[in-house]
Amino acid sequence: MSLKQTNLALAKDDTNRFLPWLIAFMSLLAILSVAGFLLLKQVSDLFEYNSNDTMTIQVPSGNSEKRTNKKITQIINILKETGGVIEVSLVPKVEVIQLLKPWLGTISESQTLPLPQIIDIQIDRSSGITPEKISNVLTIIVPDITVDDHSIWLIGLVKTLQSAELMALFILLLIIFIIIGTVIFTTRTGMGIHKQTIEVLHFVGAHDDFIARQFAIRGLVVGLQGGLIGFLFAIPILYVFDNLLQNLEEGFLPKAEVNIFVWLSVALVVPMISSITMLTARGTVLKSLKKML
Amino acid sequence: MTEVIKFESVGLRYGLGPEVLQDISFNLETASFHFLIGPSGAGKSSLLRLMYLAHRQTRGIISLFGRDTASLPRTELPKLRRRIGVMFQDFRLLPHLTAFDNVALPLRVAGMKETKIKRYVEELLVWVGLENHMDVRPTTMSGGQQQRIAIARAVIARPKILYADEPTGNVDDRIAARLMHLFDELNKLGTTVIIATHNESIIQEFRRPILRIESGRLTVVPLDKDNKSSDNKSNVKRATQLLESLSPE
Repeated sequence: MSLKQTNLALAKDDTNRFLPWLIAFMSLLAILSVAGFLLLKQVSDLFEYNSNDTMTIQVPSGNSEKRTNKKITQIINILKETGGVIEVSLVPKVEVIQLLKPWLGTISESQTLPLPQIIDIQIDRSSGITPEKISNVLTIIVPDITVDDHSIWLIGLVKTLQSAELMALFILLLIIFIIIGTVIFTTRTGMGIHKQTIEVLHFVGAHDDFIARQFAIRGLVVGLQGGLIGFLFAIPILYVFDNLLQNLEEGFLPKAEVNIFVWLSVALVVPMISSITMLTARGTVLKSLKKML
Repeated sequence: MTEVIKFESVGLRYGLGPEVLQDISFNLETASFHFLIGPSGAGKSSLLRLMYLAHRQTRGIISLFGRDTASLPRTELPKLRRRIGVMFQDFRLLPHLTAFDNVALPLRVAGMKETKIKRYVEELLVWVGLENHMDVRPTTMSGGQQQRIAIARAVIARPKILYADEPTGNVDDRIAARLMHLFDELNKLGTTVIIATHNESIIQEFRRPILRIESGRLTVVPLDKDNKSSDNKSNVKRATQLLESLSPE
């Protein structure tokens, strides 16, 4: 069967002139929602990782650097022996300065500024280790030592980011519903325009599927057109957004990027949209034809 | 002879209006040929619409090929419709398709190979005198040409039942006679033919039983056995050759 020779000339319908552009706009929004979701997930995953498995120990700088270093060695040795502590690492001074730079500016580089020594530890929370337990052991060596459990303040941020992720998914769902509604409306209009042709096709013995297939193919074409246009518009937007993310101050937020996974995911929106338009058109036609004799 | 069309006390009304067809009962046997006549508005088109399954009756039983149409599942309707050819009064050609593609439509819907379709459609278009209009769209054709395309589409799949609504309304007498011979030959090859017409000369020349409809009621006027039609032998021979070359469904 040749589609060209039996088609309903759907492409010439007035409703089909604006439809690819509407789908393109919806696709752009869908792509941005998917990209937004993935970038937020990157950030929240990093925060969650930090909050779950790490603690930071601050050792105030003493009057004697030699004595401080000795205490640090002692603390590291104790921590390594403590059950539930997986890894212990002293944060280099350069890194500490970098972390403080967004708040203190160039003052953080001053040699006279008393900077605390920072020890990062990776823990196994299931072992029951807590900041209090570590603090109790270490205050014997350094009384004014502080143990920061990141989860206390990061958990709220992670929850906020996860809410934003859900919001992005909700917007995506909303866009899909709007696309489905639009395709149902235009398909029904198309069926009204081609009512006589559909009747003729029925009279010559065409199955409902034969007629539905022609609307489905048109739906696929419109979905692909709209999806690709939307994707083309999304490319510069995501590129600019990625640059903005890369230029964020170090240490302000965990690094998120529009990586290959994000690009592949947003590219998948195009076949997803065209599949939705195709299946919706087909379903609408089959449902409507059931009402006809 | 078996019954291909059977109406039993069939009535039809549109919406809440009065019955446009009342207590219609008749049987048509395989390979019968009937004219359907009656004044305008008497219910000819409504009766045809019931026969080609465009409408469901309000009451009564309609059987086609021995099957009650009311109890037929929707999935079986296309198979049944492929055995029926319809030539509509308003032609209902698809304006975006060429004459060739319009005629080929029933064969394509049935899934026939393009090589066969090409041969059959070209032969039939030559027969109806439109060999030079194969790639022309109906919108640029005259009423008579469109009518011939509609007839060609109705007969291309060698239907078991053929309904034609005013098939000679827009053509000259020579073409009209030729088309009637085509119907006649289809009939001789086993097709049940029903032709709705106002053309008295055709009715007189091709004397066949008549279904007369008046005020929504139908009477069957049988053929006077002594009065047979006179065949134009040249047309008949050519129509026979053509139809034998066309593939059955």
